[in-house]
Amino acid sequence: MNDFDKNASIDTILDRGLVKPPAAGERIGSMLRELGLRFIFWDTGYSLFFAALTFGCAFVLFMLMPEESGASAAVAIAPLLMLLAVSFAETSERLGGLYEIKQTCRYTIRQIAALRVIVYSAAGTVLTAIVAFAGANGEGGFLSLFPLCLAALFVCSALSLSMLHRTRNEWFHALFTAGWIFANLALGFAAGERWENLLRGMPAALSIGFAVIGAALFVWQLSKMLREVKPYAIA
Amino acid sequence: MLSLNRVTKQYGNFTALEHIDLEFSQGVYALLAPNGAGKTTLIKMLATLIFPTRGEILWHGDDIVALDASYRELIGYLPQDFGYYRNHTPREFLRYMAAVKCLKRDQAAQRIDELIDLVGLSEVRGKKMRKFSGGMIQRVGIAQAMLNNPQILILDEPTAGLDPKERVRFRNLISSLSKDRIVILSTHIVSDIETIAGSVILLKDRRLFAQDSPAAVCATLAGKVYETDAIEDIRVPHLLLTERQENGRTVTRFASEHDCGESAQSVNPNLEDVFLYVYRDEER
Repeated sequence: MNDFDKNASIDTILDRGLVKPPAAGERIGSMLRELGLRFIFWDTGYSLFFAALTFGCAFVLFMLMPEESGASAAVAIAPLLMLLAVSFAETSERLGGLYEIKQTCRYTIRQIAALRVIVYSAAGTVLTAIVAFAGANGEGGFLSLFPLCLAALFVCSALSLSMLHRTRNEWFHALFTAGWIFANLALGFAAGERWENLLRGMPAALSIGFAVIGAALFVWQLSKMLREVKPYAIA
Repeated sequence: MLSLNRVTKQYGNFTALEHIDLEFSQGVYALLAPNGAGKTTLIKMLATLIFPTRGEILWHGDDIVALDASYRELIGYLPQDFGYYRNHTPREFLRYMAAVKCLKRDQAAQRIDELIDLVGLSEVRGKKMRKFSGGMIQRVGIAQAMLNNPQILILDEPTAGLDPKERVRFRNLISSLSKDRIVILSTHIVSDIETIAGSVILLKDRRLFAQDSPAAVCATLAGKVYETDAIEDIRVPHLLLTERQENGRTVTRFASEHDCGESAQSVNPNLEDVFLYVYRDEER
């Protein structure tokens, strides 16, 4: 920011005071009250159906995976439902001609999308528990694998929110989903057993640490998006 | 009052608009410029879709960026490419848009019925929109923009793709809506605004070229527009504007800074003349 812009911003702040945006929790509450779940998920039915269908196919493949790839496959598949739901629903939202209009409404479509991501992530958390249980093959590794899967889910959720926030590109999120699948496949092929052993051998405390960092990232991005007040004074 | 103070918008190294100063109060404001002149950029800034790189947009003295949601509650916006749900009826669609705009349910139901009547879609209120003509869709678009009874109605190329009858109908609708609000519409179709705009805004070379009433804008060309059926006899430098056939003769309308004497008849300039004259160097 140059001196002119800096001085203008300071003048504006001194003149009008700082605007305190509502807390993320308040924003979620007011959106749920005023919009209701029906309108938050309006017109996402087809997208969510196809996301669930695609995830179902992936889950069947996951269950057929050999036991020795269980942990790496579990980490790869843990955020998949959330990624697919965001890809299908938000890509179709952005391709629809109402995206711009919805950006001019009281709650912008990006804030509504953030609210949807919370629900996708909540559903993803339940599935992650199932996936981690299956991936650990009923052994004692569940306590280590579950937080790792959660970390993958939260980091992907945080990145999804960040992308929804930063880019207007319709296809960017679909690319991210494809990239996640590709990266995990590539890792599986390139590192093979070593990657699997690394995940299985991860101490539970470290896994939980990753999950906490992932959750913190997710909450931070979520709060940023829900409390969004556009760049202040001199944009 | 809505005002722009030295607003500049840059995309990387490209400057789309530079040092724009404008003021809007009640009435119809027409943004007139050729395609690519920055109309949509300006419209999008007013609709809070993008923000100025420098300068500020103020609503009654407050920055619209800081006003955030409370400013968005004041605006109604119809973009150039208006998407809609083809399998919904206008009523269902408007009910959804009312929810997104956070209108109370009972208030919204009444408003939707009023608006459907206002835009002349009463007879098709229960029909799915996939069977609607372009004009009917645009009217649904206007209705959604009007749901929150906006103080600022922003319309980006609202008549593009409409047939002449629909355009006239749309013009009349816009005119009736402008009685107690600011209506800002962008267009490159001069006939759309000649009769309804209280103020015409011309953008040129990324800057504000003129803002005035249509009559005052036309007056800038007074004495410079001529008609003749023998254009080959005109020896002074001139700019061809339009041609028409009249009683088997080709009547040419042109603009010239020079006196054409008796070889051509001086005529009153219209907005189309001004448009062609101002943007004579632009690719048509």
